[in-house]
Amino acid sequence: MEKTFYNIFKTFFKVGTLLLGGGYVILPLLQSELVEKREWIDEDELCEYYALGQSVPGVIAANTAVFVGYKLNKIKGAIAALSGMTLPAFASILIMAKIMDEIVHLQFIKSIFWGVGIGVLMLIYLAVKEMWKKSIVDKLSCLVFFVAFILSAGLKAPPAAVIILAIFLGIWLQHQKKVEQEGLHK
Amino acid sequence: MIYLRLFLEFFHIGLFSFGGGYATLPFLYHIADAQKWYTTQQLTDMIAISSITPGPVGVNVATFAGYVTSGILGAVIATTSVVLPSFILIIIISKLLEQFKHNKYVQSIIYVLKPTGCGLLAAVGIDMFINSINLFGMILLVCLFWASLTQKRDPLFYLGFSAIAGLIAGFFNLT
Repeated sequence: MEKTFYNIFKTFFKVGTLLLGGGYVILPLLQSELVEKREWIDEDELCEYYALGQSVPGVIAANTAVFVGYKLNKIKGAIAALSGMTLPAFASILIMAKIMDEIVHLQFIKSIFWGVGIGVLMLIYLAVKEMWKKSIVDKLSCLVFFVAFILSAGLKAPPAAVIILAIFLGIWLQHQKKVEQEGLHK
Repeated sequence: MIYLRLFLEFFHIGLFSFGGGYATLPFLYHIADAQKWYTTQQLTDMIAISSITPGPVGVNVATFAGYVTSGILGAVIATTSVVLPSFILIIIISKLLEQFKHNKYVQSIIYVLKPTGCGLLAAVGIDMFINSINLFGMILLVCLFWASLTQKRDPLFYLGFSAIAGLIAGFFNLT
């Protein structure tokens, strides 16, 4: 299939529609659509873009879409992929928002929401566990985890402030390493 | 100017949330406190809805928050602003892909950002847990936890199971 704006849009629109229950199913979906059916990119490239999508801020599904879209057809492809990915989310939420006010007062809807709220708690736990496995690799990263946790949960620091602090810490750590290495060379 | 504030808030979420999916939640809870556009109860409902509708949760909640705040135009602005930083950043990174992957500073920043994003999400989880749990909720959570130990399951399994459990609990007035 040709990598035109419309085809890219259509493919990502399909992926966006099938993307239920958070972004975790995106990798198998993209695998089947992009690698197996369309043969637009290969398995290794997809995994690389997915990993890169996680090392950039923002929604991972959207990040991956922009990476793949750009690779397929430059800026045009990126716009097609991103809009295809977000449009189903946008439309379904607008429809839900319209009926939300009327149904949210019904007792059985409240009960379902209450239950799903507990389910979301479980998904957050699983997400934290998954992120923990990938990110806590030594004592320092473990310390960073707890500092971020305490700043946010205990001191109610704005999340953006915590992230900015983390970025500075990352730069400072690398700077220290560089200084040390230069010291060794002398 | 509500539209400008919507743009700024959601653009900064797109720029700073790190770790994907639920990583936007700490920011959305912070907005609920700071801007009063929606209550934390509404946000919890929104998260529940976005878990059962298509699309990434971060985008879903942005659309929802924008709509609740100022209608369709608000929804368009919030949704666009939350993905705009991704778009700009990745176009730049794609051009410099090799340098980006091998840059020591980038690697060092990512090394710190990963546990940070994880810590922020854990903080949201604890907050939600304290605010929403009761005895039956605890039992349900233990069941879900037990189910996760026996085998890896689809997120929809947990959501479907808890929706049904919620219905039953509501019937007996346990929620």
